[in-house]
Amino acid sequence: MRLGVAACLVGAPVVLAAAPARAQVVVLDTAHTLYHESPTRTNMTVYTPGVALSVNPTQWLTIRGGYEADIVSGASVSVKAGPAYQAVNPGADVVSTASVNDLRQSPSGGITLRKGDVAYTAQYTYGTEHDYKSHSIFVSAKTEAYEHDTQFELSYARNFDRVCDRTQAVNDRPPRFRALENSDACFADSDPLRTRHTLSIDGLQAGWTQAWTPTFATQISYTAQILDGFQSNPYRSVILAQGLKAQEHHPENRARQSVSLRANLFIRPIKLAVRLGARVYRDTWDITSGTGDIELEKYLFEGFRVAARARYYKQNGASFWSDDYTGGNAPLGPKGQYWTGDRELSPFSSIGLGLRLTYGIQPVKGRLLGLMTGLKVGAAADAIQFSYDEYTLGGIPITNARAYILGANLSASF
Amino acid sequence: MRKSPLLIVLTLLCVAPLASCVTVKPQQRAVLADPIMQFDGDPQAAAQLRHAIDNREGSYGGGGVSGGGCGCN
Repeated sequence: MRLGVAACLVGAPVVLAAAPARAQVVVLDTAHTLYHESPTRTNMTVYTPGVALSVNPTQWLTIRGGYEADIVSGASVSVKAGPAYQAVNPGADVVSTASVNDLRQSPSGGITLRKGDVAYTAQYTYGTEHDYKSHSIFVSAKTEAYEHDTQFELSYARNFDRVCDRTQAVNDRPPRFRALENSDACFADSDPLRTRHTLSIDGLQAGWTQAWTPTFATQISYTAQILDGFQSNPYRSVILAQGLKAQEHHPENRARQSVSLRANLFIRPIKLAVRLGARVYRDTWDITSGTGDIELEKYLFEGFRVAARARYYKQNGASFWSDDYTGGNAPLGPKGQYWTGDRELSPFSSIGLGLRLTYGIQPVKGRLLGLMTGLKVGAAADAIQFSYDEYTLGGIPITNARAYILGANLSASF
Repeated sequence: MRKSPLLIVLTLLCVAPLASCVTVKPQQRAVLADPIMQFDGDPQAAAQLRHAIDNREGSYGGGGVSGGGCGCN
Protein backbone atom coordinates (compact mmCIF):
# COMPACT_ATOMS: atom_id res chain seq x y z
CA MET A 1 0.00 0.00 0.00
CA ARG A 2 1.12 3.47 -0.70
CA LEU A 3 1.35 6.37 1.60
CA GLY A 4 -1.66 8.61 1.54
CA VAL A 5 -1.25 12.33 1.75
CA ALA A 6 -2.58 13.82 4.90
CA ALA A 7 -4.86 16.69 5.25
CA CYS A 8 -2.58 19.24 6.20
CA LEU A 9 -0.93 22.33 5.25
CA VAL A 10 2.42 21.83 6.83
CA GLY A 11 3.34 19.07 4.43
CA ALA A 12 3.24 21.41 1.48
CA PRO A 13 6.54 22.33 -0.10
CA VAL A 14 8.18 25.65 0.38
CA VAL A 15 6.48 28.66 -1.12
CA LEU A 16 7.48 32.20 -1.78
CA ALA A 17 5.05 33.59 0.73
CA ALA A 18 3.13 36.71 -0.02
CA ALA A 19 3.35 39.40 2.60
CA PRO A 20 -0.04 39.73 4.27
CA ALA A 21 -1.75 43.06 4.09
CA ARG A 22 -2.22 42.92 7.86
CA ALA A 23 -1.76 40.50 10.67
CA GLN A 24 -3.98 37.46 10.23
CA VAL A 25 -4.78 35.93 13.57
CA VAL A 26 -6.90 33.02 12.39
CA VAL A 27 -7.04 31.28 8.99
CA LEU A 28 -9.72 28.75 8.14
CA ASP A 29 -9.21 26.53 5.10
CA THR A 30 -11.58 23.97 3.75
CA ALA A 31 -11.18 21.88 0.60
CA HIS A 32 -13.35 19.20 -0.97
CA THR A 33 -12.45 16.82 -3.76
CA LEU A 34 -14.62 14.34 -5.64
CA TYR A 35 -12.88 11.61 -7.62
CA HIS A 36 -14.70 9.25 -9.96
CA GLU A 37 -13.64 6.62 -12.44
CA SER A 38 -15.49 3.72 -14.03
CA PRO A 39 -13.25 1.70 -16.33
CA THR A 40 -14.38 -1.72 -17.58
CA ARG A 41 -16.04 -3.79 -14.83
CA THR A 42 -14.91 -1.55 -11.96
CA ASN A 43 -15.74 1.85 -10.60
CA MET A 44 -14.54 4.04 -7.76
CA THR A 45 -15.90 7.21 -6.21
CA VAL A 46 -13.98 8.99 -3.48
CA TYR A 47 -15.18 12.12 -1.71
CA THR A 48 -12.48 13.87 0.28
CA PRO A 49 -13.54 16.70 2.59
CA GLY A 50 -10.91 18.55 4.59
CA VAL A 51 -10.78 21.44 7.02
CA ALA A 52 -7.82 23.13 8.68
CA LEU A 53 -7.62 25.94 11.20
CA SER A 54 -4.45 27.86 12.00
CA VAL A 55 -4.07 30.42 14.73
CA ASN A 56 -1.23 32.93 15.18
CA PRO A 57 -1.38 34.06 18.80
CA THR A 58 2.00 35.77 18.37
CA GLN A 59 4.28 36.57 15.45
CA TRP A 60 6.58 33.66 16.28
CA LEU A 61 3.98 30.96 16.78
CA THR A 62 1.35 29.26 14.62
CA ILE A 63 -0.87 26.49 15.94
CA ARG A 64 -2.71 24.26 13.48
CA GLY A 65 -5.40 21.64 13.63
CA GLY A 66 -7.02 19.81 10.78
CA TYR A 67 -9.27 16.98 9.74
CA GLU A 68 -9.59 15.12 6.47
CA ALA A 69 -11.56 12.09 5.34
CA ASP A 70 -11.83 9.80 2.33
CA ILE A 71 -15.29 8.37 1.77
CA VAL A 72 -14.80 5.54 -0.70
CA SER A 73 -17.34 3.44 -2.56
CA GLY A 74 -17.15 1.35 -5.69
CA ALA A 75 -16.05 -2.00 -7.03
CA SER A 76 -12.50 -3.19 -7.57
CA VAL A 77 -10.83 -6.26 -9.02
CA SER A 78 -10.60 -9.03 -6.41
CA VAL A 79 -9.22 -11.82 -8.60
CA LYS A 80 -6.92 -10.87 -11.48
CA ALA A 81 -6.17 -13.14 -14.41
CA GLY A 82 -4.69 -12.50 -17.80
CA PRO A 83 -5.08 -13.59 -21.42
CA ALA A 84 -3.11 -16.86 -21.18
CA TYR A 85 -5.33 -18.15 -18.39
CA GLN A 86 -8.45 -16.94 -20.17
CA ALA A 87 -7.36 -18.74 -23.34
CA VAL A 88 -7.32 -22.12 -21.61
CA ASN A 89 -10.61 -21.38 -19.84
CA PRO A 90 -12.82 -20.24 -22.69
CA GLY A 91 -16.26 -19.14 -21.67
CA ALA A 92 -15.32 -18.78 -18.00
CA ASP A 93 -15.29 -15.42 -16.26
CA VAL A 94 -11.77 -15.64 -14.84
CA VAL A 95 -11.79 -12.13 -13.33
CA SER A 96 -13.97 -11.20 -10.38
CA THR A 97 -14.75 -7.93 -8.66
CA ALA A 98 -15.90 -6.99 -5.19
CA SER A 99 -17.61 -3.95 -3.75
CA VAL A 100 -15.52 -1.50 -1.74
CA ASN A 101 -16.79 0.78 1.00
CA ASP A 102 -14.35 2.48 3.28
CA LEU A 103 -13.87 5.59 5.34
CA ARG A 104 -10.47 7.08 6.11
CA GLN A 105 -10.42 9.71 8.83
CA SER A 106 -7.35 11.74 9.56
CA PRO A 107 -7.16 14.37 12.29
CA SER A 108 -3.91 16.30 12.68
CA GLY A 109 -2.33 18.97 14.81
CA GLY A 110 0.92 20.89 14.76
CA ILE A 111 2.86 24.04 15.49
CA THR A 112 5.30 26.32 13.69
CA LEU A 113 7.88 28.31 15.59
CA ARG A 114 9.66 31.22 13.91
CA LYS A 115 12.92 32.80 14.97
CA GLY A 116 14.46 35.31 12.62
CA ASP A 117 14.49 33.86 9.13
CA VAL A 118 13.98 30.29 10.30
CA ALA A 119 10.71 28.47 10.82
CA TYR A 120 10.43 25.09 12.52
CA THR A 121 7.31 22.97 12.10
CA ALA A 122 6.18 19.83 13.89
CA GLN A 123 2.98 17.92 13.25
CA TYR A 124 1.26 14.73 14.25
CA THR A 125 -1.36 13.03 12.06
CA TYR A 126 -3.50 10.06 12.96
CA GLY A 127 -5.13 8.04 10.24
CA THR A 128 -7.76 5.39 10.73
CA GLU A 129 -9.63 3.15 8.30
CA HIS A 130 -11.46 -0.10 8.79
CA ASP A 131 -8.34 -1.98 7.71
CA TYR A 132 -5.49 0.51 8.24
CA LYS A 133 -4.20 2.63 11.10
CA SER A 134 -1.45 5.18 10.95
CA HIS A 135 0.53 7.39 13.32
CA SER A 136 2.62 9.96 11.51
CA ILE A 137 5.07 12.54 12.80
CA PHE A 138 6.36 15.32 10.59
CA VAL A 139 9.09 17.89 11.22
CA SER A 140 10.54 20.53 8.96
CA ALA A 141 12.85 23.51 9.04
CA LYS A 142 12.73 26.35 6.56
CA THR A 143 15.08 29.27 6.25
CA GLU A 144 15.52 32.29 4.03
CA ALA A 145 18.72 33.79 2.69
CA TYR A 146 20.04 36.43 0.34
CA GLU A 147 17.43 39.16 0.97
CA HIS A 148 14.64 36.57 1.14
CA ASP A 149 15.25 35.61 -2.50
CA THR A 150 16.31 32.14 -1.48
CA GLN A 151 14.51 29.60 0.66
CA PHE A 152 15.69 26.21 1.79
CA GLU A 153 13.45 23.64 3.43
CA LEU A 154 14.19 20.24 4.89
CA SER A 155 11.32 17.94 5.89
CA TYR A 156 11.16 14.51 7.46
CA ALA A 157 8.18 12.30 8.21
CA ARG A 158 7.92 8.91 9.88
CA ASN A 159 4.83 6.74 9.69
CA PHE A 160 4.06 3.90 12.06
CA ASP A 161 1.29 2.06 10.22
CA ARG A 162 -0.60 -1.17 10.72
CA VAL A 163 -2.41 -3.06 7.96
CA CYS A 164 -5.11 -5.66 8.44
CA ASP A 165 -4.76 -9.06 6.80
CA ARG A 166 -6.24 -12.52 6.86
CA THR A 167 -4.60 -15.01 9.19
CA GLN A 168 -2.97 -17.66 7.00
CA ALA A 169 -2.58 -21.33 7.80
CA VAL A 170 0.61 -21.98 9.74
CA ASN A 171 2.23 -24.20 7.12
CA ASP A 172 1.09 -22.22 4.09
CA ARG A 173 3.48 -20.16 1.97
CA PRO A 174 2.59 -17.11 -0.19
CA PRO A 175 1.43 -19.12 -3.24
CA ARG A 176 -1.21 -20.64 -0.95
CA PHE A 177 -2.16 -17.47 0.93
CA ARG A 178 -5.80 -16.49 0.72
CA ALA A 179 -7.01 -12.93 0.35
CA LEU A 180 -8.78 -10.98 3.06
CA GLU A 181 -12.53 -11.32 2.54
CA ASN A 182 -13.64 -8.06 4.18
CA SER A 183 -12.58 -5.56 6.82
CA ASP A 184 -14.91 -6.82 9.56
CA ALA A 185 -13.24 -6.98 13.00
CA CYS A 186 -9.88 -6.04 11.49
CA PHE A 187 -8.60 -4.44 14.66
CA ALA A 188 -10.52 -6.61 17.11
CA ASP A 189 -7.86 -8.76 18.74
CA SER A 190 -10.49 -11.36 19.52
CA ASP A 191 -10.91 -12.52 15.92
CA PRO A 192 -8.41 -15.32 15.16
CA LEU A 193 -8.98 -14.92 11.41
CA ARG A 194 -7.55 -11.39 11.44
CA THR A 195 -3.97 -10.32 11.88
CA ARG A 196 -2.12 -7.04 11.61
CA HIS A 197 1.11 -6.31 9.75
CA THR A 198 3.35 -3.34 10.36
CA LEU A 199 4.45 -0.85 7.74
CA SER A 200 6.98 1.84 8.56
CA ILE A 201 7.54 4.70 6.17
CA ASP A 202 10.37 7.23 6.31
CA GLY A 203 10.09 10.26 4.04
CA LEU A 204 12.62 13.01 3.43
CA GLN A 205 12.33 16.08 1.26
CA ALA A 206 14.83 18.85 0.61
CA GLY A 207 13.69 21.92 -1.29
CA TRP A 208 15.30 25.04 -2.67
CA THR A 209 13.13 27.91 -3.87
CA GLN A 210 14.80 30.79 -5.68
CA ALA A 211 13.59 34.12 -7.03
CA TRP A 212 15.85 34.89 -9.98
CA THR A 213 14.22 38.05 -11.33
CA PRO A 214 11.15 40.11 -10.31
CA THR A 215 9.05 37.82 -12.55
CA PHE A 216 10.80 34.44 -12.45
CA ALA A 217 11.22 31.90 -9.67
CA THR A 218 12.13 28.23 -9.51
CA GLN A 219 11.77 25.43 -7.00
CA ILE A 220 13.73 22.22 -6.98
CA SER A 221 13.09 19.42 -4.55
CA TYR A 222 14.47 15.98 -3.86
CA THR A 223 12.18 13.46 -2.22
CA ALA A 224 13.12 10.06 -0.83
CA GLN A 225 10.95 7.46 0.84
CA ILE A 226 11.74 4.09 2.38
CA LEU A 227 8.91 1.66 3.06
CA ASP A 228 9.38 -1.43 5.19
CA GLY A 229 6.48 -3.78 5.77
CA PHE A 230 3.31 -5.11 4.20
CA GLN A 231 2.58 -3.31 0.92
CA SER A 232 0.22 -5.66 -0.91
CA ASN A 233 -3.50 -5.20 -1.35
CA PRO A 234 -4.76 -7.85 1.11
CA TYR A 235 -8.09 -8.16 -0.72
CA ARG A 236 -6.67 -8.96 -4.16
CA SER A 237 -5.78 -12.39 -5.53
CA VAL A 238 -3.83 -13.29 -8.63
CA ILE A 239 -4.19 -16.46 -10.67
CA LEU A 240 -0.80 -18.20 -10.59
CA ALA A 241 -1.64 -21.53 -12.24
CA GLN A 242 -4.60 -23.61 -13.26
CA GLY A 243 -6.82 -23.74 -10.21
CA LEU A 244 -4.38 -21.77 -8.04
CA LYS A 245 -5.12 -18.24 -6.93
CA ALA A 246 -3.00 -16.55 -4.31
CA GLN A 247 -3.18 -13.30 -2.40
CA GLU A 248 -1.18 -10.52 -4.04
CA HIS A 249 2.42 -10.69 -2.84
CA HIS A 250 4.62 -7.59 -3.02
CA PRO A 251 8.16 -7.18 -1.68
CA GLU A 252 8.31 -5.81 1.86
CA ASN A 253 10.97 -3.20 1.13
CA ARG A 254 10.82 -0.33 -1.28
CA ALA A 255 13.05 2.72 -1.64
CA ARG A 256 11.71 5.54 -3.79
CA GLN A 257 13.26 8.81 -4.87
CA SER A 258 12.40 11.65 -7.16
CA VAL A 259 13.64 15.03 -8.27
CA SER A 260 11.16 17.75 -9.14
CA LEU A 261 11.73 21.08 -10.81
CA ARG A 262 9.13 23.80 -11.04
CA ALA A 263 9.38 27.22 -12.61
CA ASN A 264 7.02 30.19 -12.42
CA LEU A 265 7.29 32.94 -15.01
CA PHE A 266 5.11 36.05 -15.25
CA ILE A 267 4.84 37.51 -18.74
CA ARG A 268 4.12 41.18 -18.11
CA PRO A 269 2.89 42.29 -21.57
CA ILE A 270 0.01 39.82 -21.47
CA LYS A 271 -0.19 39.53 -17.66
CA LEU A 272 0.02 35.75 -17.82
CA ALA A 273 1.65 33.42 -15.29
CA VAL A 274 3.24 30.32 -16.79
CA ARG A 275 4.05 27.39 -14.52
CA LEU A 276 6.18 24.53 -15.75
CA GLY A 277 6.90 21.36 -13.83
CA ALA A 278 8.96 18.24 -14.41
CA ARG A 279 9.66 15.21 -12.24
CA VAL A 280 11.74 12.10 -12.64
CA TYR A 281 11.21 9.14 -10.34
CA ARG A 282 12.80 5.76 -9.72
CA ASP A 283 12.42 3.06 -7.10
CA THR A 284 13.85 -0.31 -6.12
CA TRP A 285 10.89 -2.14 -7.66
CA ASP A 286 12.39 -0.91 -10.92
CA ILE A 287 9.67 1.59 -11.70
CA THR A 288 10.93 4.65 -13.54
CA SER A 289 8.62 7.48 -14.43
CA GLY A 290 8.62 10.96 -15.88
CA THR A 291 6.04 13.69 -15.39
CA GLY A 292 5.66 17.00 -17.19
CA ASP A 293 3.03 19.64 -16.56
CA ILE A 294 2.15 23.16 -17.56
CA GLU A 295 -0.33 25.63 -16.11
CA LEU A 296 -1.28 29.01 -17.52
CA GLU A 297 -3.06 31.45 -15.23
CA LYS A 298 -4.39 34.93 -15.83
CA TYR A 299 -6.42 37.58 -14.02
CA LEU A 300 -9.70 38.19 -15.83
CA PHE A 301 -10.50 41.04 -13.46
CA GLU A 302 -9.27 42.12 -10.05
CA GLY A 303 -9.14 39.15 -7.73
CA PHE A 304 -10.53 36.66 -10.26
CA ARG A 305 -8.12 34.22 -11.87
CA VAL A 306 -8.61 31.46 -14.38
CA ALA A 307 -6.06 28.73 -14.98
CA ALA A 308 -5.77 25.96 -17.53
CA ARG A 309 -3.43 23.04 -16.95
CA ALA A 310 -2.16 19.93 -18.68
CA ARG A 311 -0.12 17.01 -17.36
CA TYR A 312 1.60 14.05 -18.99
CA TYR A 313 2.82 11.03 -17.05
CA LYS A 314 4.56 7.84 -18.16
CA GLN A 315 5.99 4.92 -16.22
CA ASN A 316 7.33 1.47 -16.90
CA GLY A 317 6.22 -1.57 -14.92
CA ALA A 318 7.62 -3.04 -11.72
CA SER A 319 10.21 -5.77 -12.21
CA PHE A 320 7.77 -8.40 -10.98
CA TRP A 321 4.77 -7.11 -12.94
CA SER A 322 3.10 -9.53 -15.34
CA ASP A 323 -0.33 -9.43 -16.87
CA ASP A 324 -0.61 -13.21 -16.56
CA TYR A 325 1.56 -15.28 -14.25
CA THR A 326 0.40 -18.51 -15.88
CA GLY A 327 1.80 -17.61 -19.27
CA GLY A 328 5.11 -18.19 -20.99
CA ASN A 329 7.31 -15.43 -22.31
CA ALA A 330 7.12 -11.77 -21.34
CA PRO A 331 4.93 -9.85 -20.88
CA LEU A 332 3.20 -13.00 -19.64
CA GLY A 333 4.68 -15.55 -17.30
CA PRO A 334 6.07 -15.60 -13.78
CA LYS A 335 8.62 -12.98 -12.81
CA GLY A 336 10.08 -14.45 -9.66
CA GLN A 337 8.82 -14.73 -6.12
CA TYR A 338 6.38 -11.79 -6.20
CA TRP A 339 3.12 -11.20 -8.05
CA THR A 340 0.68 -8.36 -8.35
CA GLY A 341 -2.66 -7.48 -9.87
CA ASP A 342 -2.11 -3.77 -9.37
CA ARG A 343 -2.51 -1.80 -12.57
CA GLU A 344 -0.53 1.04 -10.95
CA LEU A 345 2.52 -1.23 -11.11
CA SER A 346 2.04 -1.94 -14.83
CA PRO A 347 3.51 0.16 -17.64
CA PHE A 348 1.15 2.97 -18.62
CA SER A 349 0.86 6.62 -19.48
CA SER A 350 -1.74 9.24 -18.71
CA ILE A 351 -2.77 12.65 -19.96
CA GLY A 352 -4.61 15.10 -17.73
CA LEU A 353 -6.36 18.35 -18.56
CA GLY A 354 -7.87 20.75 -16.05
CA LEU A 355 -9.38 24.13 -15.37
CA ARG A 356 -9.25 26.13 -12.16
CA LEU A 357 -11.07 29.30 -11.08
CA THR A 358 -10.06 31.38 -8.08
CA TYR A 359 -11.56 34.51 -6.60
CA GLY A 360 -9.86 36.34 -3.77
CA ILE A 361 -10.81 39.46 -1.88
CA GLN A 362 -8.51 41.30 0.49
CA PRO A 363 -10.05 44.65 1.46
CA VAL A 364 -7.61 47.51 1.91
CA LYS A 365 -9.74 49.03 4.66
CA GLY A 366 -12.17 47.44 7.05
CA ARG A 367 -13.25 43.80 7.13
CA LEU A 368 -15.52 41.70 4.96
CA LEU A 369 -18.85 41.27 6.72
CA GLY A 370 -17.19 42.96 9.66
CA LEU A 371 -15.16 39.80 10.30
CA MET A 372 -12.73 38.73 7.63
CA THR A 373 -9.48 40.31 6.55
CA GLY A 374 -9.45 38.12 3.44
CA LEU A 375 -11.50 35.54 1.61
CA LYS A 376 -10.59 33.20 -1.23
CA VAL A 377 -12.76 30.65 -3.02
CA GLY A 378 -11.71 28.26 -5.75
CA ALA A 379 -13.11 25.53 -7.96
CA ALA A 380 -11.34 23.07 -10.23
CA ALA A 381 -12.18 20.30 -12.67
CA ASP A 382 -9.72 17.78 -14.09
CA ALA A 383 -9.99 14.79 -16.39
CA ILE A 384 -7.30 12.12 -16.79
CA GLN A 385 -7.11 9.48 -19.50
CA PHE A 386 -5.00 6.40 -18.61
CA SER A 387 -3.50 4.22 -21.35
CA TYR A 388 -2.36 0.80 -20.10
CA ASP A 389 0.28 -0.90 -22.23
CA GLU A 390 -0.19 -4.43 -20.84
CA TYR A 391 -2.85 -4.50 -18.13
CA THR A 392 -5.94 -6.50 -19.11
CA LEU A 393 -8.83 -8.18 -17.37
CA GLY A 394 -8.75 -11.74 -18.70
CA GLY A 395 -7.19 -10.48 -21.90
CA ILE A 396 -9.61 -7.57 -22.40
CA PRO A 397 -7.66 -4.29 -22.62
CA ILE A 398 -8.89 -1.38 -20.49
CA THR A 399 -9.35 1.40 -22.99
CA ASN A 400 -11.86 3.53 -21.12
CA ALA A 401 -9.92 4.31 -17.95
CA ARG A 402 -10.84 7.93 -17.40
CA ALA A 403 -10.86 9.71 -14.08
CA TYR A 404 -12.78 12.88 -13.30
CA ILE A 405 -11.77 15.07 -10.39
CA LEU A 406 -13.79 18.01 -9.09
CA GLY A 407 -12.48 20.29 -6.39
CA ALA A 408 -13.70 23.25 -4.35
CA ASN A 409 -11.92 25.19 -1.65
CA LEU A 410 -12.42 28.20 0.58
CA SER A 411 -9.95 30.10 2.72
CA ALA A 412 -10.97 32.83 5.15
CA SER A 413 -8.67 35.00 7.25
CA PHE A 414 -9.85 36.68 10.43
CA MET B 1 20.30 5.17 -10.18
CA ARG B 2 23.14 4.05 -7.99
CA LYS B 3 25.11 7.24 -8.71
CA SER B 4 22.32 9.71 -9.36
CA PRO B 5 21.56 10.88 -5.76
CA LEU B 6 25.20 11.85 -5.28
CA LEU B 7 25.16 13.53 -8.66
CA ILE B 8 22.07 15.51 -7.74
CA VAL B 9 23.56 16.65 -4.43
CA LEU B 10 26.82 17.66 -6.06
CA THR B 11 24.98 19.54 -8.81
CA LEU B 12 22.89 21.39 -6.26
CA LEU B 13 25.96 22.28 -4.21
CA CYS B 14 27.58 23.71 -7.34
CA VAL B 15 24.53 25.67 -8.47
CA ALA B 16 23.33 26.95 -5.08
CA PRO B 17 26.03 29.64 -4.73
CA LEU B 18 24.62 31.27 -7.86
CA ALA B 19 21.70 32.33 -5.73
CA SER B 20 23.92 34.81 -3.90
CA CYS B 21 24.53 36.62 -7.20
CA VAL B 22 20.85 37.34 -7.61
CA THR B 23 19.05 40.11 -5.81
CA VAL B 24 15.43 41.00 -6.28
CA LYS B 25 14.91 44.21 -4.32
CA PRO B 26 11.93 44.44 -1.98
CA GLN B 27 10.28 47.09 -4.18
CA GLN B 28 10.56 44.66 -7.12
CA ARG B 29 8.74 41.84 -5.39
CA ALA B 30 5.16 42.83 -6.17
CA VAL B 31 4.72 40.19 -8.88
CA LEU B 32 6.53 37.47 -6.93
CA ALA B 33 4.33 38.19 -3.90
CA ASP B 34 1.13 38.02 -5.91
CA PRO B 35 -0.97 34.88 -5.36
CA ILE B 36 -0.66 34.08 -9.07
CA MET B 37 3.08 33.43 -8.60
CA GLN B 38 2.88 31.12 -5.58
CA PHE B 39 4.14 27.57 -6.00
CA ASP B 40 1.33 26.22 -3.82
CA GLY B 41 -1.30 28.89 -3.47
CA ASP B 42 -3.98 26.49 -2.21
CA PRO B 43 -1.94 23.86 -0.37
CA GLN B 44 -4.87 21.87 1.00
CA ALA B 45 -6.63 21.63 -2.36
CA ALA B 46 -3.33 20.82 -4.07
CA ALA B 47 -2.61 18.08 -1.51
CA GLN B 48 -6.00 16.49 -2.12
CA LEU B 49 -5.45 16.51 -5.89
CA ARG B 50 -2.00 14.96 -5.43
CA HIS B 51 -3.49 12.33 -3.11
CA ALA B 52 -6.02 11.34 -5.79
CA ILE B 53 -3.40 11.18 -8.54
CA ASP B 54 -0.65 9.49 -6.46
CA ASN B 55 -3.04 6.65 -5.65
CA ARG B 56 -3.41 5.88 -9.37
CA GLU B 57 0.29 5.94 -10.19
CA GLY B 58 3.37 4.01 -9.13
CA SER B 59 5.30 7.19 -8.40
CA TYR B 60 5.63 9.70 -5.62
CA GLY B 61 7.46 12.87 -4.69
CA GLY B 62 7.73 16.60 -4.97
CA GLY B 63 4.64 17.38 -2.93
CA GLY B 64 5.73 16.99 0.67
CA VAL B 65 6.26 13.95 2.85
CA SER B 66 3.62 14.17 5.56
CA GLY B 67 1.54 11.06 6.10
CA GLY B 68 -1.78 10.08 7.54
CA GLY B 69 -3.03 6.69 6.39
CA CYS B 70 -3.50 4.95 3.12
CA GLY B 71 -6.84 5.90 1.56
CA CYS B 72 -5.63 4.10 -1.53
CA ASN B 73 -8.50 1.85 -2.58
